[in-house]
Amino acid sequence: MDTASTICTQRLTRRFGDFIAVDGIDLRVSRGQFFGFLGPNGAGKSTTIKMLTGLLAPSSGRIEILGLDLAAHPVEVKQQIGVVPEGMALFGRLTGYEFLNFAGRMYGLDRETAAKRAVELLDFMQLADQPKKLVTDYSHGMQKKLAMAAAVIHGPKVLFLDEPFEGVDAIAAGTLKAMLQGMIARGATIFLTSHVLEIVERLCSHVAIIHQGRLVAQGALEELRAGVEAQTPVPGEGLGSSGERLTLEQIFLRTVGGMRRTDQELSWLG
Amino acid sequence: MTKAGFTARGSQLSAIAWVRWRLFVNSLRTTRGKLDLVSRSVVWLGFATVGIGGAAGMGTAAFFFVREGRPGLLTLLLWPIFFFWQVFPIMATAFANNPDSSDLLHFPLNYSSYFLVRLAYGAADPATALGSLWSFGILMGVGLAKPGLLPWTLLVLLAFAAFNLVFMQMIFAWVERWLARRRTREVMGVLFLLLLLSVQLIAPLTGYFTTRPRPAVHRFAEILIQGQKILPPGLAARAVAQVSASHLRTGFYSLGLLCAFVLAIGYCLHVRLLAQYRGESLSDTAARPVLPQDRSLRLGWNLPGLASPVAAVFEKEIRSLLRSGPMLLTLIMPLFMLIIFRFGPMNSARQVGTAVPGHSPGLAFPAAAGFALLTLTNLVYNNFGGDGSGIQFFYACPARFRDIVLGKNVTHASILVIETAVVWLAVISLFGKPTVNITIATLIGLLFAAAVNLSVGNLLSIYSPKKFDYSAFGRQRASQITVLISMGVQVLVVGTAGSAFWIARHYGNSWIANLILLLLAVIALYAYRAVLRHIDRVAQEHQEMLVAELCRA
Repeated sequence: MDTASTICTQRLTRRFGDFIAVDGIDLRVSRGQFFGFLGPNGAGKSTTIKMLTGLLAPSSGRIEILGLDLAAHPVEVKQQIGVVPEGMALFGRLTGYEFLNFAGRMYGLDRETAAKRAVELLDFMQLADQPKKLVTDYSHGMQKKLAMAAAVIHGPKVLFLDEPFEGVDAIAAGTLKAMLQGMIARGATIFLTSHVLEIVERLCSHVAIIHQGRLVAQGALEELRAGVEAQTPVPGEGLGSSGERLTLEQIFLRTVGGMRRTDQELSWLG
Repeated sequence: MTKAGFTARGSQLSAIAWVRWRLFVNSLRTTRGKLDLVSRSVVWLGFATVGIGGAAGMGTAAFFFVREGRPGLLTLLLWPIFFFWQVFPIMATAFANNPDSSDLLHFPLNYSSYFLVRLAYGAADPATALGSLWSFGILMGVGLAKPGLLPWTLLVLLAFAAFNLVFMQMIFAWVERWLARRRTREVMGVLFLLLLLSVQLIAPLTGYFTTRPRPAVHRFAEILIQGQKILPPGLAARAVAQVSASHLRTGFYSLGLLCAFVLAIGYCLHVRLLAQYRGESLSDTAARPVLPQDRSLRLGWNLPGLASPVAAVFEKEIRSLLRSGPMLLTLIMPLFMLIIFRFGPMNSARQVGTAVPGHSPGLAFPAAAGFALLTLTNLVYNNFGGDGSGIQFFYACPARFRDIVLGKNVTHASILVIETAVVWLAVISLFGKPTVNITIATLIGLLFAAAVNLSVGNLLSIYSPKKFDYSAFGRQRASQITVLISMGVQVLVVGTAGSAFWIARHYGNSWIANLILLLLAVIALYAYRAVLRHIDRVAQEHQEMLVAELCRA
């Protein structure tokens, strides 16, 4: 294993019966990286992030987070990471403050610190104006912000985010991005999956692309771009030929080979 | 409605029936699904036995009532059916099997279809099945005694069944609505407190009536008898009796009045369902004005001697429960049970040596305390059901599952202690103070039963979880495996405790039972500790299934 990496996997595999969702991937994420993990629907992104955060046991392979074997030291690893999983993991019948206070204590903070940080985070996330509102009555975007607040309340060194910007408005997205960039500046590592490639391109320094359970690309965004641009441009796409840099979307589409179907029409669709 | 409209509605309803069938078939793909079906079959076999036995009994009674020319006495059968139909679904929510139909509102379902679907979903309930079976028994009894009366009785009992079905749904829909809003929840809380206070008046009132000369009691009974005649069970009995006596016109009036009840209750249900159909939000926080932020720091709760995560989980559970009206309503059911046993028909029977608490006040405290524990089974046997996708948080955070489960157990044990104290006070008011021996035996027995239930409940919460919405009322589906095993545990606990009392009686020393129960409690507590010690491993092994089941939309 690469001991210098914050996140390191070795032949990480997950099977569901005969189906291999994640097929022997070797990930390397260094300290301070803003790492984007991309892939088409069903490629294995969420399965991977669940395995990296201890929410799903791998079928085989090894995971090291901050130099600790996740299987051998789950509690020690969990103390140093924050997670916003797919379903957000909230408790609907608590208020935002109560949930953050609860989360802080579950992550080992003392009562005073948990309470202070809960108030601070509610303020920062602009969720403090309706203190009596239950989480179940929050809008989707508010729930995302609350889940994010709960994931960082203990000051994690590594943050895992599964689609953090899904359903979040531009103002809230700006708040979240500012917070995440602040964390990176202070040396934290962030691992996120997102389908919004523009956001990934703007935020992430490093990217990995998973397709059909296999890692098909990994590295610094510039390295990936250079690698793809060096290949022969796809006829008719006109990419790279005019000297323009490839966008992440173009890199992604070329890497996973996912050209849009234009030959098929849904004639019944008005 | 146009023919095309009917066809579209028929198509939607058949699509809903088909999707329910496919959901059932697909659930059998997993071993858990198959086990659930087996458990469901066993539970339903039990209900079928009670249903068929009851139907035979009701049928026999109905046969004799009609044969003896006293069909008006059918009211003695219809009232218990009515009470069972309405009370059982609240008292035994674990058996509820009503899927939530509100998901269907995503589709362009017209309102009448939604109303029908809601009624059909509500009909998949043991109370409805048993009530219908018993009504069928009455129909057969009447038909055998007087075949000419069969079609009319069928019509009357159909109206009676429709009334019960619609009434049950109406109660659920409105109670859910009242419990969802803080203002109405508070009003209901005040009403409940008044009820508790009025319980204090029951003993003096009972004394007053039992010491009155018989004519006064008879006058009171006469008022009750006359009053019940204009209510649905009484109307149904009268409709049959009047037609049996060839008073066709009054018979039709009674049936008409019964149908009017169905329509009136149906209208009340319609008001609620229409609001749901139009997309009402039961939340009262959304509409609340923005409040100035409370800047004072509110610290989380602390439980002396217990780890911080245990206290945090305890606080979370208590706060969640206090905002879950339907669950609170279930928890106060033991008090209603005591009142029913004290003043219900079973207490007015003149059998000697029966085990009904109304006849044996000494049994009231153990029975009510036992029922208090039973009302907790929804929580104890499905610890994580109310957490939904929050279960992922428990797996993602560094807290041990042992602490999380302990926090939940402390919550449930605290509720049990409070319920037992309240029940004890209620027993004193209604039946008189239980003896020291019975109180001690009950408390030790409760300790034993609680430890066994918590141990098995902790395991089943992980082995057989089911997502549970604390805010929904009568629209839940419990895991049938859990229902079956929890029933088995109760039989085992009651059997063991009963054996202890039998041994004590055999040796003529009631304290022997206490000693045996104490020994059993110690063993059960040891088993509980062992379960808790291994719960992290069990939770880890079943993580995937637990998360998948509870995060399911």
